[in-house]
Amino acid sequence: MAVVSRTIMLADCQSFYASVEKAHHPEYAGKPVVVAGDPERRSGIVLAACPLAKAKGVTTAERLGEAIAKCPDVVIVRPRMAEYIRVSLQISEIYRSYTDLVEPYSIDEQFIDVTGALHRYSGDYEEMARQIQQHVLAETGIYCRFGISENKILAKTACDNYAKKNESGVYVLPKDKLAGTLWTLPIQKLFMAGNRMTHHFRSMGIETIGDLANTPLERLKLLMRRKFGKNSDINAELYWRIANGEDDSPVTPQTHEEAPKSIGHQMTLPRDYGTLEELKVVLLELTELVCQRCRGKGFMGQVIAVGCQGADFDRPTGFFRQMKMMDPTNVTNQVYRAAVQLLERYWDGNPVRKVGVTLAQFQDSEHYQLALFDDRERSMALERATDALKEKYGDSIIMRAVSMTPAGQARDRSGKIGGHYK
Amino acid sequence: MSKKLQGNGLWESSRMMLPEHKAEIVSSAKAAKYRQPSELDEHEWEQISRAVAESMELRQPIALRMYHPYEETKVIGTVERIDHYRGRFMVDGEWFEIRHIEGVDEYSA
Repeated sequence: MAVVSRTIMLADCQSFYASVEKAHHPEYAGKPVVVAGDPERRSGIVLAACPLAKAKGVTTAERLGEAIAKCPDVVIVRPRMAEYIRVSLQISEIYRSYTDLVEPYSIDEQFIDVTGALHRYSGDYEEMARQIQQHVLAETGIYCRFGISENKILAKTACDNYAKKNESGVYVLPKDKLAGTLWTLPIQKLFMAGNRMTHHFRSMGIETIGDLANTPLERLKLLMRRKFGKNSDINAELYWRIANGEDDSPVTPQTHEEAPKSIGHQMTLPRDYGTLEELKVVLLELTELVCQRCRGKGFMGQVIAVGCQGADFDRPTGFFRQMKMMDPTNVTNQVYRAAVQLLERYWDGNPVRKVGVTLAQFQDSEHYQLALFDDRERSMALERATDALKEKYGDSIIMRAVSMTPAGQARDRSGKIGGHYK
Repeated sequence: MSKKLQGNGLWESSRMMLPEHKAEIVSSAKAAKYRQPSELDEHEWEQISRAVAESMELRQPIALRMYHPYEETKVIGTVERIDHYRGRFMVDGEWFEIRHIEGVDEYSA
């Protein structure tokens, strides 16, 4: 069988949250708008800024106070996460009217495989992208940018580096033209390469994406092994493939339906937590959320992982450790006991700004080994009752007493999606 | 080989999806698969009832397409009993609803 070359698009919504708000509030037209985590607090973070606000120098993730200083007439909007999810699904639906191969990659980015639909546009994928762009704009008021190539990594790269910056919002990046395009870009533009990785590449003498692509893979593995030890071969190959634009992964619409391999929650705290007492409160709350989701999906997990991070991401402090429990479980108190062990063993006393709990290595919760010394049935019956209450009336209907202490975050979190207001 | 380098691994390991967004995708995908029960005309019903009666009387296996809200299901076997009063029939010791039958398929062993 002849290999048919694919045509993949990565469509990205411009300033998604801010654009949704502008589309819903015609009175904001022509004004700079930001969506900010907590408009009442100047220390809140800018989640999205519309192009007008960006033109005044406002950037995503900066403090609201700084944004106001740069752009005093900025309109500040409280996030509505549930609405953004609804619009994102509406956009997926629009893409699906062109091809059934649509894979959401995040709330504002989706992969579209249009190989099978191109004949209706006489093979002109740029024209097709422009039509989809118009369609989404007309129905939702959101402007999308399209990176187009023969695979997902090149489509993503084309979008991030070119389509977001050009006039039309559509850019085609052919794989045989990388030498004059992608390879001329500095190494920090490489997908998946963060600050620290960029720094490491520079110290290896790799300054551009082309330098990386043209380093023989075996040599790159050797260079990375010297820095990161034996287990870096996989990452070496990953970066090398990204730089060379090699990616055979399919656009997978059902990717989100597959059973998860782990379930985790993490939370950024409103301030630094410095005592074990305080950390235990959020640890319990996170464990409860994780276990609640596992119970809802019918999983019991045996491996528990706990992570804590300090506030300064450039000087990382904290830990991420896991342990195997005696038996698989989804009973909050049992998982919490193990989580506290990890916290007590690995926390070095530095202030903590971000806490995460993850449960993994699942088995089906219908069949489980009876434990001799634990009255699991009683806790399970209790949790069935509290889960049912929360399902019906929301997570804040019943909670643990510690959640009412100043360290507790459960009440605040129950009104949020992804850490932001619903 | 690592999962990051296989299948859709690169994108599964790097994506940022809100659990609430994921849940909505899954539930709307399920809703899209919802099937309306098909309405049969008299002729089709006659064909079905003849096939079911023949299967029971002649001890012949048949394949019946059955309605299910999300899946394509079939009952394959010999009809053992028919309970007209409660509107059900038995294959292999298990009762099925007569009103869920959507058609007869060619039986192939």
